[in-house]
Parts: sequence; C-alpha cells; structure tokens
Amino acid sequence: MTSVAAHIEPASAEPFLTLANIRKVYPGVVALSSFSMSVSPGEVIGLVGENGAGKSTLMKILGGVIAPSQGTITIDGVPRASLTVADSMAAGIAFVHQELNLFDNLDVAANIFVGREPLTGGFLRLVDEKKQHEMVIPLLKRVGANFSAFAPLASLSLAQRQMVEIAKALSVDARLVILDEPTSILPLSETEKLLDVIRALKADGISVIFISHRLHEIELIADRVVVLRDGALVGTLDRGEIDHQRMVKLMIGRDIKVPSAPLANAPGNIAMSAVGVRTAAHPAQPVSLDLRNGEILGLAGLVGSGRTELARAMFGVDPIYGGYFELDGDKFRPTHASQSIARGIFLVPEDRQGAGVLLDLSIAENISLPDLPAHATSFFVNRGLEIQTAERQKRNLAIMTPSVATRTGSLSGGNQQKVVLAKWLAMSPKVMIFDEPTRGIDIGAKAEIYRLMRELADVGVAVLMISSDMEEVIGVSDRIAVMHEGRVAGILNRDQFSGENVLLLAVGKTIGAKTEP
Amino acid sequence: MTKKDLGLLILILAVGAVVTMINPRFILPINIANTANLVGMFGLSALGQSIVILTGGIELSVGSVIALIGVLFVDFIATQNIPWPVAAALMLVLAIMLGLTHGLLITKFKLPPFIVTLCGLLIYRGIARFYTRDATAGFAFGQNFPKLEFITAGRSFGVPNSFIGLIIAAAIMWIVVHRSVFGRYLYAAGKNEEAARFSGIKTDQVIIAAYVICQVLTMLSAIYFAMYTRSISPASHGNFYELYAIAAAVLGGFSLRGGEGSIIGALLGVVLLQELQNLVNLLGIPSSLNFAVVGGVILLGVLGDQQWGSFRERRRIEDAARGREPKQASAE
Amino acid sequence: MNNTGRIAVAIAAGLTLSFAALSPTLAADKPQLAFVANGASDFWKAAEAGMKKAQTELADYELIFRYPDVASVANQQALMDNLATAGVKAIMVSAVDPKATDVLNRIAGETALFTTDSDAPNSKRIAYVGSSNVLAGGQAAEIAKKAMPNGGKCMGFVGLLDAANYKERAQGFVEGLKGTKITLVDTRGDGIDQTRAKSNVEDVLTADPSINCMVGFYSYNTPRIYEALKGAGKLGQITVVGFDDDPITLGGVKEGTIAGTVVQQPFEWAYQGFKLMAAYLKGDKSGIPANGQIIIPTKILYAGDIDAYAANLKAMSGK
Repeated sequence: MTSVAAHIEPASAEPFLTLANIRKVYPGVVALSSFSMSVSPGEVIGLVGENGAGKSTLMKILGGVIAPSQGTITIDGVPRASLTVADSMAAGIAFVHQELNLFDNLDVAANIFVGREPLTGGFLRLVDEKKQHEMVIPLLKRVGANFSAFAPLASLSLAQRQMVEIAKALSVDARLVILDEPTSILPLSETEKLLDVIRALKADGISVIFISHRLHEIELIADRVVVLRDGALVGTLDRGEIDHQRMVKLMIGRDIKVPSAPLANAPGNIAMSAVGVRTAAHPAQPVSLDLRNGEILGLAGLVGSGRTELARAMFGVDPIYGGYFELDGDKFRPTHASQSIARGIFLVPEDRQGAGVLLDLSIAENISLPDLPAHATSFFVNRGLEIQTAERQKRNLAIMTPSVATRTGSLSGGNQQKVVLAKWLAMSPKVMIFDEPTRGIDIGAKAEIYRLMRELADVGVAVLMISSDMEEVIGVSDRIAVMHEGRVAGILNRDQFSGENVLLLAVGKTIGAKTEP
Repeated sequence: MTKKDLGLLILILAVGAVVTMINPRFILPINIANTANLVGMFGLSALGQSIVILTGGIELSVGSVIALIGVLFVDFIATQNIPWPVAAALMLVLAIMLGLTHGLLITKFKLPPFIVTLCGLLIYRGIARFYTRDATAGFAFGQNFPKLEFITAGRSFGVPNSFIGLIIAAAIMWIVVHRSVFGRYLYAAGKNEEAARFSGIKTDQVIIAAYVICQVLTMLSAIYFAMYTRSISPASHGNFYELYAIAAAVLGGFSLRGGEGSIIGALLGVVLLQELQNLVNLLGIPSSLNFAVVGGVILLGVLGDQQWGSFRERRRIEDAARGREPKQASAE
Repeated sequence: MNNTGRIAVAIAAGLTLSFAALSPTLAADKPQLAFVANGASDFWKAAEAGMKKAQTELADYELIFRYPDVASVANQQALMDNLATAGVKAIMVSAVDPKATDVLNRIAGETALFTTDSDAPNSKRIAYVGSSNVLAGGQAAEIAKKAMPNGGKCMGFVGLLDAANYKERAQGFVEGLKGTKITLVDTRGDGIDQTRAKSNVEDVLTADPSINCMVGFYSYNTPRIYEALKGAGKLGQITVVGFDDDPITLGGVKEGTIAGTVVQQPFEWAYQGFKLMAAYLKGDKSGIPANGQIIIPTKILYAGDIDAYAANLKAMSGK
C-alpha cells in the first residue's frame, strides 16, 4: 500500500472550479439547495451521502446534463448560470459512471476513441488503427494498465474496464475526473489498484471527485470529504478530520452502529451441504461447504471465484456438473428453481432488477409470484389474498410505499430489495442465500437488511451471504468461507476475522495455523 | 378497459362516424355484419398471435398454417369424405403438434422465435402446395355441409357465427390472460424471463403453452377462412395474415418486447383493421391504396399513443411542479 | 467444429442437394422442351394435360412443366435461367410481367423462347400461342348484352389491377359495350387474396345497391362473387359475367345464376405450343405467322354448353 503520508499534502493551487449557492428543483422535490464547493487542481474530494442525498443531481449539473435552478458555476474565473455538455467537456470534466459506458464488442483502443477516431486521409477516411493504438499506449501506462490496447473489452475484468474509462477521461485532457461509485462493483483486491490510479492522477495535478458508499476507501484516499444529506451540504471534513464515525454521523444525521455485531449463536445442525459440487465457472474444482441452521455464513472471494455460480446452482437456476447437495439426508440436484423453492431454499440474487424483481409488476404481484398457487382459487388469482399477503409483508419489512399496488420499478433500490425479501419471507425459508444483498443500497436500508438477516438466523434459518464488501463480510457473518478460483480456500471463525485474512485467502495465499480447509 | 383501449375505441368510432357521413351505407346492418364476420376470422388468429407476443415471441407461420389447415380440412371433408367433426379433431391435433414443436425449439433448443416460425412459414406453405400439387382445394358445385356451414359461415339473429366464435374465444382468453395463474406467469415470463425463472416459474412450459394456444386459435380461424372462401389455393391463401395479426396486436397495445397488452386491445385492433379495409371499398378509394391506408393508420395510431403517453407524463410533472414547488420553497 | 467449418459443411450439403435436385434434368439424354407457368394454380392443370397429349406425339423430346415458387418476375426469371443453363432447347412461358422485355430477351438469347397466356410482342420471342384477352373481353361483353338488354351497371373484380391480362380483358369488355346502356363502373382488386376477393363483393353489395352486374375477371373471382351473392341471398338478382372454368363457375352457369363465362383453352396452348416448338427446332417455321401471334380463340359457355364442356375437361385431365 502506498504510504498514507504521501498524499496528505494539501492541494495548494487556486480552485479552478467553484460552485456557489447551487439550487436545483424538480417538480415536487428540492434535489439540491444552497450548495457550494470548490475544486483545486490535484485535489481528491470524497463525496458521500445516502441515496437520494443529491449526489447524482450535482453530477448532472457538472456534466451539463441539467441546468441548476439558481446559483453560479465559475470555471477559470468565468461565472455562468449553467453548463452545457460541451462546456463541461471543454472545461475538462470527465465522468466514470457506475454503469460503465463501454462497448463490449470493441477493443480497448476503439473504446477510448469511440466517436473521435483518428482517421486516415484519402477518400475513404478509414479509422487509423495504428495511430489510435499509438495514442492509447501512453494513456494506458498512466493508469497502470496491465492489458494491451488491442485487448477486446469483453476479456477485461471490471477493474480493468474502469481503467479504460479513466484512460478515456485522460485522452480528452481531463482536469477533473468524477468517479461515481467506482468500487461498488469491484472485488476487494482490485479496489486497491483503483486507488493507486487515483493517486497517480493526483500526482499529475488532476482533480478527482470520488463518490462512494465504502467509507473506508474515502478515508484512505480523500483530501477533503463533502457530505450531502437531503439535497443540502451538511459538512466538509478536512484531511485530519476524516473518519468513519464522523462521516456516518453527518450522512445520517444521528449516531448508528454499523454494522450490527454478530451474536454468538451456538452452531445449529447442518441445513444444507454442497458435496463436491462442480459448476460451469470452475468445472475442475469441486466445492464442498456446510450451511448450518441459525448461522450467517459469509462467502467472500474475488469476483469470478465461483461464489455466485455456487449460489445459482443451489437455487437450481444453473446446472451442476458433478457432485450434489445434501438436504435433510437426501441427495438434491435441482434442475429448476421451482424445485429449490419447494424445499425452502431461496435466493436473493445479485442482479436485483434483472432477476430479483419484475419492475413492471406491482409490489403485491411480485410478492405472490413464487407462491401464486397459494394465492389462487383453482385457476384464478385471488387478488384479495394477494393484497393481504403483500400488506402483511409491507408492515413486517417496513417497505416504504404508498400502496402495494405501486409499480415495483418506482421504488428505491433498498425498497426493491425489501420486496425481494418479502416474497421469500412470505413463504417459509430454510436456507436463505443473499448475493451481494446491499450493493447500491443506502446505509439506512443496509442496516435494516442486516437486521433481517440476523433475525432469520435467530429463528434457525441457514443464511449464506455472498459479499464483496469487507466491512459487511466481517461485520455480519458468524463464519466466513473464502473462495479462490472455484474452491473454498479456507473458513474463518470469529476469532480469525480480519480484512487481511480474508484477502490473503481470496488471492490464494494461506494464513496462520487456525484455518479449517 | 384501460385508457389505451378506450383511446382505440374512440378512434374506431371516430373513423366510423366520418365514413358514415360520407357514405351512410357504412352503418347498414348488413355491412356491420359482413365486417363482423371478417373481424371474427382475423380476430381468432390475432388473439393467438397476441398470446405469443405477450411472451416476447412472434409467430410468423400463421398465414401458412391457415393455408395448410385450410387445404387439409377442405380436402378431408370434400374429397376424402371424412366426417367434418373428425377432420376438425385431426386439425386440432395437428395444431397442438405444431405449437409444441415451435415451443420446444424455442425453449429447449434456444432458437430465436423469429427463425423458428419463419422456417415454419416456409415449410407449411411448401407442404400445403405439395399436398395438393399446387391445385386449389375446394368443394364441388353444390356440395354442402349444412351444420358446419351454419357454425362457420352462418348467422344467428343476424350476427355472424364467426364473430360469436371470436367473442367466446376472447372471453375465455381474457379470463386466462387477465385472471388466471397462467396469465400472470405469461406476463412475468414475457416481461423478464430471468426474474420469472428466479421466482420459480417454469418459464419454458409457459412459453410452450403460449405457442400451442396460438396454433389452436390459428387452426380455428383457418377453418373459418376455409369455409368462407370455400376454395383454398395453397400458394396464396392466407399470405400475410400473420402480419395482419401482428398489426392488430400492436395496434391493440401489445409490445413486441413482451409483457404488455390486453385481450380487449387486441380485439379492438382487429376491429380497426377490418374497418379500414371496409372503408376503402365503401368510400371507393382505389383498391391499390388499401395497404397504404392500413399502414398509414397503424403508424398514426402507434405514434399518437406514444405521443399522448409522453404528453401526459409531461403534464403530470408540470402539475406536480406547480402544486408543490411553493410549499418546498417556503420551508427553507 | 468452429463456425466457419460448420457453415462450409452446410453450404456443401446445400449444394449437393441442389445438384441432386437438378440431376434428372442434367442426366436427360433427349432434348427438353419446357412450359413455364406464371404461378401455381388449377388453371394450368389443363395445360399439363395438353402437354401429356403432346408428349405422346413427340417421342423425340422430353416435355417438362415448371411453376415458379412465387409468382414474381425475379423468381420466374431465375427458373428460366436455370432451365436454359441446364440445356433446355425451347421454353414457352406465361410471363409474370410481359413488359419485362430485357429479361425475356436475355432468355431468348440462350434458348428458343415462346410466350403464352400473355404476349410480349416487343421481345425477341419467336411466337405467342394463346388467347386474345381483348377478344375474350369482347365475348364477356356479349354475355352482358344478352343478359341485360335494358342496360346495367357493372362492377369488376380482379386479383391484380395492374396486370396486362386484366387490362386487356377490361378494354375488350368496355369496347364491346359501346353503344349500350351497360357500363363498367370500377374494378376492385384483391391482391390474389381470396378472403378479400369475397369481402370485396360483400362490400360492393353494401356500398352501392345500384350495381346490378358483376364481372369476375380472374378465374377465382367468379366463384367468390357467386358465394358472396349466395350468402346475401342475391343470387339471380345480379347478373354475373365470368371468366374461366372454375367448377363453381361452371355450376353457376348451368344453374342459371351466372349468365355465362368466357373460357380459354390452356390445354390447346400447351398441346399446340409444344408441337410448334418441336417443329421449330426441326427447322419447320411454317406454323409461325408474320405477326408471330397464334390466337387460340376463347369460347363463351352458356347454361346449355356446360355438360359437354365439363365432360371434355374431365377427359382431358384424365381424371
């Protein structure tokens, strides 16, 4: 790790970008009010706030996508009421979005220069591949890329793709790079690489606005932290003041303890085992793992280590290529989710909007979906019963919605996740699998989901939680299984929990004496 | 009835009113009955198509199936002297088999619906032509099947029985699609198959069933068409009928991406299409413009619907802005 | 196997199949003469019968009958190209588009080209064997005049409004009506869709009650008129003039509900056409008149003519 001292040097230069009294009103909502901030060259600013605090509005104003209702934006001493997209680009503001705007079917160089390809002369004006390649190499070097300019984008990991995005920003001579939740999709080990890239940008005098829910990373990298809450600036922390508790307190306006401390449950019986299970991701590596009643088993590992595939196989949505699961003394090889659901094995999938809920169905329709025959009179859906179940679950899980007839897509991420949970909890779970359950969810909702997981464990449900968030894995689990390239590299008990141990196992190293293989 | 359906109904009535003003014979009971008869026949295939479109699929073989079932059915009863109820039962079995084949190829072999049913379009047309050696399948002069003719081409109290058949089929399909467990699964599988699968729905079975339902309804319409034209030339019979069915479903608010649309919408779509064909003749518009008129109205209808939708969305936001803005401002 | 490999195998398999399909043609040792129809329909069944009769008299040649898969210029052209390539000595074609002179000339450059059904006088075809549609239209007018001595208002029904055979028939019909009180008000096209052909008739019945005469210009139009009138209970109230010899048309004429029909003689076209081609190939050009048109007259059938005609038809088709 780079020494922390190296980047504490205050950014001394004059601010080149100043926002003064920015206010943005949407119909019915004040998205941003009286917001002021300035950015100096080479400064890394952490921007934190719960979902809906106004971060995206601020980003859109800086990107020239929307105009503020009032306020002044001053760039290089020139004040303006608003920016256009072209102004923003001319000012050297570049964005790296959470959903990367890249083309899977093009190579790295083509992605970086898409829309501004260097052309050959002559009548045809073809893309000058050679020149494009030459222009890309120094950019890739600056971001410390370990891949070639000709690599197809599809072959790159998420972290590598982010480097491509950053290289793209550098290719337009960016002065300010805005990273929106760059680490939320990254596994633990790759996050460190990204932080190194940010340090390199800083050293070149490029400013960075770093938006993240992962406060640990903000602590490591930011010169200054700006905290938003409900559209207002609630505090600015300078380098010396940046710490976890302060940020959390400002973000949520009160002290809470995150995450909840695990309870020392007596380990229950084995609820479900994987016995030599082989999945498509790593067919050569059989996985064996026991899930116990009343326990939250954290499943850590790098992206691609085979965690999600194991979960999908348990839930019956992916085939298994060897081995079996053991459930109540039976060998169990589900070929369809309906079989797992019938046995009380439920999955809260990673891709909430793609696989967890149907955005266009109502909350009630989503909740009844897996158990629709129970909400039907012979062939006909019994809407009364459906509403009844949904209302009960809405109360139990505190889903924030005016009505259970509301379209699920109109809910916030946290509430959508609660709908996913609600549909499973309406049935009786024996094994609950959570795949990245709090990704993209704000801190308040996160805490509620942790509480629900703990409650499930307390009533004897076996909980398996896949997570790439170190704080979450350590803070929530009773035991942690760490996967590496398709196998279980080690299982940590509470007294062995540490970020270092998890990371060591995840990258295929061993830790001290006390691991159970 | 949704707002979209209501809009379509208003369009149908408005077009009808304009045509009536120009040629009052448009609303003669006989014209309404003739048009209702066509609505009945085209409506059955459009209903089937709608179910498939609801799953996000498409069924392009409709026209060829209408030709194949037409020649087989007419040949069976007119030439082979098979009793018509038996022939109809055989056609039902054939339709179920066609639907199963399409469904299995699409779900289990993961072929795109467009390809599977396009091949179906070519194959069934070829088989129909081969079966009769390109000859027309028809009845001898004066050959009659009074009961069958009453059911298919007859009228009860002035209402064509094909239309009554459509209403019965539509009522059943309405219950199936909008009220039954299977209907909910159809919408779920059509909107997001992955999420439906993750909720334990056997999406493959749902999709296969959709193709079977489509073929059975197409078979019904094929028999109605056969008994209407009473002569099936296998090379041209039913050409483009799949496109009429798709057009009706789209007019009726079905999204080709799946998961959207209502049975009533599909019915109204068929009514509008046939009304347009009728007005071309009633107003003496040159027949060569027929397709252009139909295409133009579909385009305008879909465009209008889309624009109305975004207009309402803008209005909602502007209203909200006017209504709540001052309150927020005073709070600061 | 990789994708390219698979595609290569598929192409190879496809080619093998195509050759297999062509091989009877390639393997034939007798010179071939071909008849190319403009699309699959019953109408050509009689021509096939004519070909069979010609075959019995032309032992030195192999006679073949071909339909394009789709009634399109391109498809028919490809079919003729294939035949010419395969070494067919002469082709008699009912051109989908007789005005596509370039296409016909190209074929005429490769093999001896004859036309039938609809002529292409500007092309390099050797001769035309068939009806005169203008004369046929005139005969239809005769039927109308006889049935409606006091005048009438006629509506026409046809598959393709822009087709030359329709235009000529309509021209002959209108010319034949000159000086009478009978008029052809309009013609409704259906694009060869039989459902529409029938609903067009129903719509006309509704739209204009003053129409008291209907003309079915294509062979399937007359039976659709018959059935629509039957459905509306108007058989006998409206004068129906037909073309061609669909069984329903013949039945209607015999019954008296159709005034009469004008029939062509595709049997004779094929029979005489094949004999003409064979003679031509042997160097005998005496059968070809100066204008290249060999008109085989159309005939009017009234109620009394039907039984004899149907019996002859049956005998010809060998059924």
